[in-house]
Amino acid sequence: MSVSGLHLTPIGNGAMLLEPSLALDVGNTHAMLEGIVRRLQQTKAARLYYDLEQLAIIEPLYYNWLNMLARACHTVNVKMTCIHMQPTAAFALARYMEQPPEFETGMEVDGWNRENK
Amino acid sequence: MAKNQNKFSSRLIGLLKTQIGNITGAIEKEGRLLFGGSNNLMSSDEISDFSIEFFQLLVALLESKDPLDDASPQFHALEMFFNNLSRQILVRGGRVEDLVRFNQFMQRALIEALENDQKGSAEEEGHGKPGWAKVEEMQQTSQQDFTELKTVLLFLSTTFNELNLAVFQAYLEEKEKTIHAQEAELRETATPITEIWDGVLTLPIIGTLDSSRTMLVMEALLNRIAQERAHAVVMDLTGVKNIDSQVSHHLIQMVRAVQLMGADAILTGIRPEIARALTSLNIDLSSVTTRATLSDGLKEAFRRMGIQVSHKVS
Repeated sequence: MSVSGLHLTPIGNGAMLLEPSLALDVGNTHAMLEGIVRRLQQTKAARLYYDLEQLAIIEPLYYNWLNMLARACHTVNVKMTCIHMQPTAAFALARYMEQPPEFETGMEVDGWNRENK
Repeated sequence: MAKNQNKFSSRLIGLLKTQIGNITGAIEKEGRLLFGGSNNLMSSDEISDFSIEFFQLLVALLESKDPLDDASPQFHALEMFFNNLSRQILVRGGRVEDLVRFNQFMQRALIEALENDQKGSAEEEGHGKPGWAKVEEMQQTSQQDFTELKTVLLFLSTTFNELNLAVFQAYLEEKEKTIHAQEAELRETATPITEIWDGVLTLPIIGTLDSSRTMLVMEALLNRIAQERAHAVVMDLTGVKNIDSQVSHHLIQMVRAVQLMGADAILTGIRPEIARALTSLNIDLSSVTTRATLSDGLKEAFRRMGIQVSHKVS
């Protein structure tokens, strides 16, 4: 099943890669959330990697969408990790966020092993 | 008053025009003494050009509608000329005292020229007049001269006071520029980000973290993380002597930004007084890894990256 505005690709080891396109409408989250969760369940995924490489800035609306998606993933026992966050986006986000995000962050899909912590 | 002004202006203009050689000669001589020669602040040509330009601007001011009006374009031009000249000399290492002395000398040179002119004309007027007529005329002339002289001195002191202010303004602007440049340099050198191992960055923080410094450090650090693909950043606070809510807030912001990039932030070197201050400020560091020393922080970063550093077995 395809979800408009994003690509979901299985990348092995129970992980899925989500690549948002510029057409992604974060104002219409309900339909997207259902579609993504359904796809994750179909593929028996344990981790969702969200690729932020194309986003130079993450505004509050987009940040809410990321947190909402992380919570939805959590309800179906999938961990969400945002990868490739740009320095400009991290800089701006760190200045206005008040709580730690509900998703994990990583540099690469197969990079820093967070299980070691 | 306006009549007096016209009279004194035309008299000064006349004086400047007839004695241009003497006055510029004296000004150039003093200029060479203060700024030329071994002082190497201005070349001989620059001093000559400067004297002539000053002269032209002073005549233009005297020819203006009201020479005492410090808001006139002519006055502004003279002021700007002095401001630029002062800046030029200060940038080359000149002293503000010498500039002020030079201004005083120019004022004195003009007064002396005026004095000589006055003596000359009094002698000329006194010749060939009979007794009582001479005394009466002299009385009238001295009254007129006094009023005129007063206006001239007022003009000169007002103008040169303003020019001294222009010198001080240039001096302050140059000092401010130097301070800003030094601050910027200090900011850059005070927070060196070093890649101490592949993928491990260290950031020793010394002094106070204010908003502008935090932004600079954060920007540099995040770009470095992206550039080096760093997995861990060890921030050492040994050099931070005290902390307040603003500083701790900036510190948390930095840690969050590093974590958002997917790297790990490890805080080290937190002094007991800083720990106490953080506790009383209700700062939650539960999501932040802390270690006592920089060396412990590095060991933790290596452990997480699966790197083992051990002594060589002999």
